[in-house]
Amino acid sequence: MSYVIGAPCIDELDRACVEVCPVDCIYVGDRKSYINSNECIDCGACEVECPVDAIFVDRKARKDPELKAFLEDSRAFFDEPLPGRDAPLGDPGGAQKIGEIGVDTEFVTNFSA
Amino acid sequence: MARTPSPMQTDVLIVGAGPTGLYGAYYAGFRGLSTIVVDVLPQAGGQVMALYPEKEIRDVAALPSIRGRDFVANLVEQAAAYEPSYLLGRQAVALVHEDGKPVVTLDDGTVINAEAVVLTAGIGTPTPRPLECGEEWLGSGLSYFVVDPSVHAGKDVVVVGGGDSALDWADALSRIARSVTLVHRRAAFRGHAATLTRVRDSACVIHTDTQVTGLHGDLAAGRLEKVTLRSKAGEESLVAADHVIAALGFISDLGPLREWGLELAGRSVAVDRAGRTNLPRVYAAGDLTDYDGKVKLMSVGFGEVAIAMNHVAVDLDPDLTLFPGHSTEGA
Repeated sequence: MSYVIGAPCIDELDRACVEVCPVDCIYVGDRKSYINSNECIDCGACEVECPVDAIFVDRKARKDPELKAFLEDSRAFFDEPLPGRDAPLGDPGGAQKIGEIGVDTEFVTNFSA
Repeated sequence: MARTPSPMQTDVLIVGAGPTGLYGAYYAGFRGLSTIVVDVLPQAGGQVMALYPEKEIRDVAALPSIRGRDFVANLVEQAAAYEPSYLLGRQAVALVHEDGKPVVTLDDGTVINAEAVVLTAGIGTPTPRPLECGEEWLGSGLSYFVVDPSVHAGKDVVVVGGGDSALDWADALSRIARSVTLVHRRAAFRGHAATLTRVRDSACVIHTDTQVTGLHGDLAAGRLEKVTLRSKAGEESLVAADHVIAALGFISDLGPLREWGLELAGRSVAVDRAGRTNLPRVYAAGDLTDYDGKVKLMSVGFGEVAIAMNHVAVDLDPDLTLFPGHSTEGA
């Protein structure tokens, strides 16, 4: 189980969630941020902080195609090489250590509401 | 002259005073074992107290709904029947074995000789999130905690952050400091509304949508004089500051126990079904541990630490039985 960041984050990128994550598992792309589901401890601290209510718990995605798309996209952000990179990010073990990623998945780059 | 206090002795040393560790303290007592509980945080309760003390917990058996803070108080009360010793605000930094038994050293130099160690450290050690600038001032003009508010009496203090710690310290210091400036990167504060109201009503100057971008003064002498603030709109200003307190929250990781020779599984410690780690007389339970099929829940941690503590009892005294008997038979 994990929390997931959805569409409202795109171009908002407030980073309030990043500040409260106790395990530093929220990685900042270009247009939005992404939660690493392997590193997330399900504490829910980020969900209440998000000023645009972009964060949802993954089980909510089961019956909602848009949430599901963002759940799958979140996994892809870490599991598949991002544009311009050879290797996937994987589980870096802390966002602060590696800095902002500065690039999104193709899905998010091309996303328009 | 260096003080070398004599080592403390205990049957069981529990590392981590979250729900699993606290229930472990009860269980160790129930099995007749003396217990010391260590935690790096200044209070018992682990994540529950650090992250959601006011929220209702609804997934623990026989407790339909209970506030986090009350839940922790109950665990402490349950363990108190066996009088465990708490060493809070201290971090276990080293674990070695002497004559096959664990010896744990704390960050204040305390040495504990234990017959067994049970690790219930959850997500590990919280370390403060650093301020984005001015790290060279750490220890003089910059700190992450207020240990003794009175050192700020009559001084110019800048508090950075938007959570409860930042608000609490701004509130407390505004009564004794010459000036308090509260700086928060975002527009909205996260902390308690009542504290925020007190801070707004005090002489404290609040800058929202603003970051600290520079610390200035005589670094060699450790004398901070002012800080640069930069607003989201790009406006810069200078504020008098003898001290900056950065309360930007915490990031947790396994910390020192990563170096103890434990078999790790990612961010977790690998254990067998009895809660044994790969090290002799070192057990682990709760969110810290991993094995095939693991689910990280308090309910699971309670079961795991009960299993581990029963095995500790028998491993230390093979004449005992693994089954503890019924607690209803006790006083």
